[in-house]
Amino acid sequence: MSTTPPRRNHLARSRRLAGIVFTVPVALLVGGFLAIPMVQTVYYSFTTWNGITSTPNGVDNYRQLFADTTFWQVVSNNAILLASIPLAILIPLIVAFLLNEHVIGWRFFRSVYFLPTAISWVVIGMVAIRVFSSGGLLNSTLAMIGLSGIHTDLLSGNSTAIIAVIITFIWSVFGTNTIIFITGMATLDREVYEAARVDGAGAWSTLFYITIPMLMRFIQFAFILTVITAFTALFSLIFIMTQGGPGFSTTTLEFFVFEKGFNTGVFGLAAAIGVVLFVIVFGIWMAQFRVFRNAND
Amino acid sequence: MNLSKHQFNRAVIFVTLSLLVVVMLFPFVFMALTSFRSYQQYLAGSGFSLDSWSTLFSVLPVVQELLNSTIVTLGAVLIILVVSTMGGFAFAKLGYPGSTAVFLLMVSGMMVPVQSIILPEFVNVSQIGWINQYQGAIVVYAALGAPFATYLMTTYFRGVSTELIEASLIDGASYWQIFTRIMLPLATPALVTVAVLQFIQIWDDLLIGLLFLQTPEVRTITVGLATLQSSRMVNIPALMAGSLVSALPAVVVYLIFQRHLVRGLTMGMGK
Repeated sequence: MSTTPPRRNHLARSRRLAGIVFTVPVALLVGGFLAIPMVQTVYYSFTTWNGITSTPNGVDNYRQLFADTTFWQVVSNNAILLASIPLAILIPLIVAFLLNEHVIGWRFFRSVYFLPTAISWVVIGMVAIRVFSSGGLLNSTLAMIGLSGIHTDLLSGNSTAIIAVIITFIWSVFGTNTIIFITGMATLDREVYEAARVDGAGAWSTLFYITIPMLMRFIQFAFILTVITAFTALFSLIFIMTQGGPGFSTTTLEFFVFEKGFNTGVFGLAAAIGVVLFVIVFGIWMAQFRVFRNAND
Repeated sequence: MNLSKHQFNRAVIFVTLSLLVVVMLFPFVFMALTSFRSYQQYLAGSGFSLDSWSTLFSVLPVVQELLNSTIVTLGAVLIILVVSTMGGFAFAKLGYPGSTAVFLLMVSGMMVPVQSIILPEFVNVSQIGWINQYQGAIVVYAALGAPFATYLMTTYFRGVSTELIEASLIDGASYWQIFTRIMLPLATPALVTVAVLQFIQIWDDLLIGLLFLQTPEVRTITVGLATLQSSRMVNIPALMAGSLVSALPAVVVYLIFQRHLVRGLTMGMGK
């Protein structure tokens, strides 16, 4: 320290000071309205809490939660969502592959596919209800193509409502994932394709043996983004489409927090669900960092 | 012969992609067509009428709610831009002991699901007395959006040359002057990306509005629409008119700034 000339020392000190001053606004905002509430959630998850007064109760909330069959039904709904993600990746991959052929109008197609990004889940849900309802468009379309024997009523079935939610979800993230893959394909070397073509590789083998392996980084990114969306951003869609029902058949962890907290009023238990959700989401992020690091090695 | 097979393939691709356009545009067409029918015409499946639009405006304070959405969204976006550029500048160029740790903590804020903080957030904000006040929702939206925005800005500012800053310091500029006169103008593309991403996200959000802005006077259009749906309103054409109105501003922003959105998406991947 003492070996640096005084002027340099002064400069470094004023730079550090400026750094701290420039950090203060964002630190106050995120600290006060994100970090503190997160710590509070963890604390309250070990209490009986009605929103006003709380009394510590050890791990009672967690014990009660893990003994609750509804909780496990909710967790399995999250698992079903997770199981649908490969479709939400594969369809955009194939479409991006087709878009990458740059047929007439491909820029227009790309813009249209990406459009749902701008639409709220509320609006998407509003239209989706009308598609899947008994007198809805799905049934009239089925009838139109001569399949009037098949009459669906997905939203009112205990085991089928989640299918309607998943179809809507895949429709919504389709554009985002397609854009990610198109961006990725643009970074690939076209010579590799030419070489494959010369070697007589067909479109499908090019897709599965060349494009997909080379896009792994983008596929991982899209996968994580889609899982996080499925687990933390579907509240509004579920709220509009099914209110978590019939029964709890479309309630996911994120919706369960709302249901237990703001509808039932057991805030302590809801906080415990919030902690479980946080642990799962945090775990997914950590897994992604590990995958990325390994991929970069 | 080979060429025609090639052309045939391209035609198949074109048709496939066009069919997908129909699937993706369908909700918009459905909303628009349905909203210009009365309820009876909707059931009958034909006709043209503005009834549903007047119904919508009579059951929902559309103009007030659009105004509320605008105030809340722009307020939050503005705060996010200010704090994320300042923080990004500090993390990228003005390192101090512990700044890396603060940055990592900040970035880990991106991993916190809204639902995991919403209960204490609601209780805290109501204790300040900010429920049903614009500033309550604004500050919550800003806090939720700030970590990702700060991450993007930090990444962006790391690419700015340090010599530029040092040269200005020697010329006698203060850090604040460097920030406003050099860093901010350089960061305009990143600022637009952050603003567009956040605008769409906040405009389209339901949960925060539902909890923090409950009265019709301060309610956003998205919340207003959701309350119509949950009140079991059966007038589908009016609901579709409302959906169209609420979707339009974000769609316009999307159409103008599409390229910035794509960039934001890929910037999220790091380099």
